Amino acid sequence: MRPESLMILAALLVSLAGAVWLAASLDAHWQQLRGREAAASPRQVALLRGLGATAWLFALLLCCRADHASMAVLVWIMSISAASCAAAFLLAWRPRAVAWLLAWA
Amino acid sequence: MFPSFRLAMSWLHTWFGLVLGYLLIVIFFFGSLSVFDREFDRWAIPDTRFAAQPLPSYDRMLAPIFARMTPEADELEAARGRVKAPLPETLKPLNWSAYTTHRDPVVGLYAEYAVPGNPDDPEDHVHGHVTVDPRNGRLLRDDQLKIGSEFFYPMHIGLHITWKNLGYWIVGLAALVMLAALVSGVVIHRHLFREFFTFRPQKHIQRSTLDLHNLTGVVALPFHFFFALTGLTIFAAMYLPVSESMLKPQATAAAMAEAQQKHLPYAAAGVPAPLASVDAMVSEAKRRWAAHDMAGEVGYLYISHPGDRNSYVTIYRGGSDRVALLGQAIHFEGTTGRVLYEEPQPSAVAKVNEFLTGLHLQQFEHWALRWFYLFGGLTGCACIATGFLFFVEKRKRKHAAQGHAGARWADAMAVTTVTGMLVAALAILVANRLLPEDLPLRGDWEKRTFWAAWLLSFAHAAWRCRPMRQGLPSPAWFEQCCIVATLAFAAVALNGVTTGDHLVKTLFIERYWPVASVDLALLAVGLLAAGVARRLRLRRSVPEVHVRTANAEQAHAS
Amino acid sequence: MTAMSRPLQIASRIAASLVGGWVFVWGLVMLGIGALLRGGVPYEDAQTAMYLLAFLVYLAAFCWTYAAASAWRVWLVLLGGGALMTAVGSWLAGPAAA
Repeated sequence: MRPESLMILAALLVSLAGAVWLAASLDAHWQQLRGREAAASPRQVALLRGLGATAWLFALLLCCRADHASMAVLVWIMSISAASCAAAFLLAWRPRAVAWLLAWA
Repeated sequence: MFPSFRLAMSWLHTWFGLVLGYLLIVIFFFGSLSVFDREFDRWAIPDTRFAAQPLPSYDRMLAPIFARMTPEADELEAARGRVKAPLPETLKPLNWSAYTTHRDPVVGLYAEYAVPGNPDDPEDHVHGHVTVDPRNGRLLRDDQLKIGSEFFYPMHIGLHITWKNLGYWIVGLAALVMLAALVSGVVIHRHLFREFFTFRPQKHIQRSTLDLHNLTGVVALPFHFFFALTGLTIFAAMYLPVSESMLKPQATAAAMAEAQQKHLPYAAAGVPAPLASVDAMVSEAKRRWAAHDMAGEVGYLYISHPGDRNSYVTIYRGGSDRVALLGQAIHFEGTTGRVLYEEPQPSAVAKVNEFLTGLHLQQFEHWALRWFYLFGGLTGCACIATGFLFFVEKRKRKHAAQGHAGARWADAMAVTTVTGMLVAALAILVANRLLPEDLPLRGDWEKRTFWAAWLLSFAHAAWRCRPMRQGLPSPAWFEQCCIVATLAFAAVALNGVTTGDHLVKTLFIERYWPVASVDLALLAVGLLAAGVARRLRLRRSVPEVHVRTANAEQAHAS
Repeated sequence: MTAMSRPLQIASRIAASLVGGWVFVWGLVMLGIGALLRGGVPYEDAQTAMYLLAFLVYLAAFCWTYAAASAWRVWLVLLGGGALMTAVGSWLAGPAAA
């Protein structure tokens, strides 16, 4: 696979992780991932949001390595969209597939 | 008229969404297919199933073809009705052009011919068009339909309604309403960020449909917004033709001044003179691009007033490595081949416009982004379709109780524009493989199949929506899903049988992604339709339980 | 104007949002191009800039039509404003100078 394609694939996966982390910072999805336990503590919520934002930023960096800026921004925006959509479906139908991303929390 | 801003936006979203939604889903769907228009072309015309080619030599191959080209017969007929005196034997060509992208195996050649003696329009002209195989100069049959670029794409931009550009105006209206639907949707969506990733399929159908509608709308909001907006700005000159009317003097003066500055003759001299070697001009253009660190292929070749002393040749670089469609142009004097003018970097405003246009028309070479675009487009379709479904679900029991037909017809229209549209698109592909190869006007028959199939699905949906009188779901969805699955699998099978380019060959033996990816996409559509059909049948087999659970859940209304 | 029936009210708003909005945006484009031409901006750039802005303004006018309290106000602003901007823009653009 061409290095640019690998980078975009990596950006997509990183975006997906970021989406799951951002989703987990919301009550409803934390419940989906953790079962009906107590809600996340404010510190955990802040950490999750930080992780998610960092992941999305890192995805942008990866996209910029793969293409020049104007193309990279488009790829990144669509990558975030696709990742968020995928995260929503995974959380609805297969939360266990991504629950491991919260293993540290 | 409304007690609050929010209620006004809610009304706008519901009613404009419902009425224009049927059009919008068609525009979105065929726009999504248009991302892969050239790939559909190659699937439909097996003669063109070879690798993409750069523009061939003008002097050796294209010049004789241009010289032999004639205007389209139907346009000539129409032109005869517009002029007083009979038209001359051969019409003078105003310009010739050739366009190719990194995905084109064949080259499109275009010409415009002057129509003299029209009292209403001194600039009246007709068009000519041929498609050439650049490997050998062979002309393709002109009655073979390029299903992607000549059918799906024109459907997207103008719904095939060409009378006085009415189709473009309707699509423009739909785009404006799309923007309003997005804005109003954001206004009425109370918890946009909290519900950003929310999809609850286990809840009752109204809730999960609304969840999906919100999800598909919000998650790709930048995509939906920018595509609707750029769709409008691309045709802005048509919607707001100030330069053709109130500001015509200023616009013409500016155009002439610009042509003078570039030493480009505005009009023909009327003195015949042969064209110099265009191949030499192409070489010079490529040399200059390489000198600017922008080596590339020719994207668009334009010859103004060929055979005249004032002719000039403009060569544009293909923009496949950037978002903008075409690179900067270089103008050559037609009779001598010397460089008249090399366009400088465009102004900031022009750059923004080129970016936005290129963003929408995506001729760039970036496969990941193109597939992302397909995702965006289909997400838009899902947003609109779930919008209909939500409207119908919310109202169908009430309407059934009150004896209104509203929800029934909304549902019948929804079936027609969701599954019906798929049926029609698949039907044209199946017809393409089934119709006899040497059938005259083959392309026209394919188009007729498309429209007939769509009309039939509407008739089927309307007939089968009667159970909705009792508030029960219509079986049309299930039945049309079955038809979709059947047609999709049939198209793949027929391609394999009639052309020999079955998936084993195009994936493994002699890899050819354009055809393989269409076949794979067709299989995916078939499997998806079959899966949905199965779920619909399972749900219908326990209607009593479903209705009771739904009522119970509605009591716990979210 | 509570005397007007609801369907007529709705028809009026729809017409205002589409036709009135279009007239308003036409005026905006005329005014914008006229002003930019006076400012020395080349014609093509002036036209492109206004076209890019036009549909965002159209969107705002469209939504405002339904949110506004009075339909008369909407018609006045959109048609009147559009006509005024067209006139001013036309005057600013002036005769076709070289």
